[in-house]
Amino acid sequence: MAASRMLRKPISDRTLCTLFLVPSLVILAVMVAYPFLSLLINSTYRFSALRSNVEPVFVWLDNYDFLLSDPDLWDRFTFTGTFVVLTVSVQFILAISVAYYLQRDFRGRDLLFTVLMIPMMLSPIVIGFLWRYIFNSEWGLMNFFVTRLGFDAIDWLGVTDNALIAVVIADTWMWTPFVILLAVAAFRGIPVSIQEAATIDGASPFFRFTRLTLPMSAPILGIAFLLRLIDSFKQYDLFFALTGGAPGSTTETVSFYLAKVAFSYFYTGEASALAVIQLVIIIGLSLIFVRLLTRIGRQRQ
Amino acid sequence: MKNKHLILPVVILGLYTLYNVGPLLWLMISSLKSRPDLFAMPPTLLFEPHLAGYEAVFGVGAAADSASSHGVFASLINSIVIACSGTVLATMFGTLAGYAASRFNFFAKGDFMFFVLSTRMIPPVAVMVFYHQMFSSLGLADTWTGMIMITTFINVGLATWIMKGFFDGVPTEVEAIALMNGYSRWYAFRKLVLPMVRGGIAATAGFSFIFAWNEFAFGSILTTTEAKTLPVRISSAAGATGIEWTQIFAAGTVLVIPVILFFYLIRRHLLMGMTFGVLGKKG
Repeated sequence: MAASRMLRKPISDRTLCTLFLVPSLVILAVMVAYPFLSLLINSTYRFSALRSNVEPVFVWLDNYDFLLSDPDLWDRFTFTGTFVVLTVSVQFILAISVAYYLQRDFRGRDLLFTVLMIPMMLSPIVIGFLWRYIFNSEWGLMNFFVTRLGFDAIDWLGVTDNALIAVVIADTWMWTPFVILLAVAAFRGIPVSIQEAATIDGASPFFRFTRLTLPMSAPILGIAFLLRLIDSFKQYDLFFALTGGAPGSTTETVSFYLAKVAFSYFYTGEASALAVIQLVIIIGLSLIFVRLLTRIGRQRQ
Repeated sequence: MKNKHLILPVVILGLYTLYNVGPLLWLMISSLKSRPDLFAMPPTLLFEPHLAGYEAVFGVGAAADSASSHGVFASLINSIVIACSGTVLATMFGTLAGYAASRFNFFAKGDFMFFVLSTRMIPPVAVMVFYHQMFSSLGLADTWTGMIMITTFINVGLATWIMKGFFDGVPTEVEAIALMNGYSRWYAFRKLVLPMVRGGIAATAGFSFIFAWNEFAFGSILTTTEAKTLPVRISSAAGATGIEWTQIFAAGTVLVIPVILFFYLIRRHLLMGMTFGVLGKKG
């Protein structure tokens, strides 16, 4: 009761605003800003979290130099890049063709749409194991279909290229719904009158789609593209459960490699440097993303 | 003539639906199979249901006491406590910050909003190098408190952005009239504005719960025994002695079902939630 009497005293908007922001600011400062600064500092030392009795040695930018001249890291970047390009383009091609037919109203559309959205909400670790089971070369569902169609059984997870395809299939399964969600929103946001005018002028459906629908949906598809780019660049869980980096270490993403440097080798200094590199890339991409987001937000108001 | 136009849409939507729904059904079917049925080739669709996996997950029956299922039930409890607490905290903090961001101008607001959003983009592994040290030195490693901090932090940014979107949809006149009539802003916020964004709060909580419930990367490094969550426990069911598929699929199904329930709650706000409150505001 005492509290409510206290609140009857008018609080200025300024104080209220500060009080409202404090909890979020505190948790984000502790969990993000402080770690980032500490990573920056740690990345200039040579030390291992395992051996706390050994004094850290200040080495300037040696950790960065070491990492950037390490061919292993470039292999991880190349693999991550290949994965990102493949998975994002497959998702967009698939999502745009499905969204093209899902934008119209038909009986049961809303139900179908809702059901199709489910995969992006599921636990990546469960999904990873599920697909690992489906891709098993001996008893997996995938090879059952492959052999039924008259082909030889495929060693999905034992060969690097096949494993890459397997992860792309699983990631596409999970994230195409997200691209469909945004593509349908974009397509439906285009005024019907524009489409009708083009039809009256005799534009073919293909022409209308490539010259009207796609360009007009570009900003929203841009949001989808950047978010998918960022998310697939940092993908960790799915690889952990599906390939575990195998065969060898050929399907390790940058995130995966970072976890290994930090928690298997315990090269804490190098790991901090790699974390900083990864964060700088992500922050760069996020900046572009927020620019696009605020522009669209303003247009919609 | 009309049917001819329907072939392509039906084929494309049909094939995609099969690809989309099939694996999920396969997960649920496989969770009820016994070991021989799991490895049968060709795969069986008709089989005698087998509940050993679920017994391990819920800590009942003979399968619950076996060495391989040790701690599975405890990890389910950990998951529930950690995901729910994190959801409540993130939704509360996000609601307050979202209101402030929607109604007031403050120093470096644009930078604040970018910083808040960027936390959503951070690769967990990158900050983990630091958390690992911080948590060990503060005694937070492998505790509920530590993991609740994590599940709160991963959702605060999203919650702030979504709630700002919902508050933006409430006319500022609501508070203006209340203030004119002598009520405080706090009263207007609590009694007038909050009830108007109830749907938004539910959606924010739904999203936060799903992300907290599915969290794996942080848990896999920061918990070892006491605070291990179910996704982390699943990953250790794939140990040196082979993979405990029955447990993984049963635990997987148990992990998936609440997500589908919460998904139903947020289905109309999906677009808004996934685009940080910028698109789909009318929902």
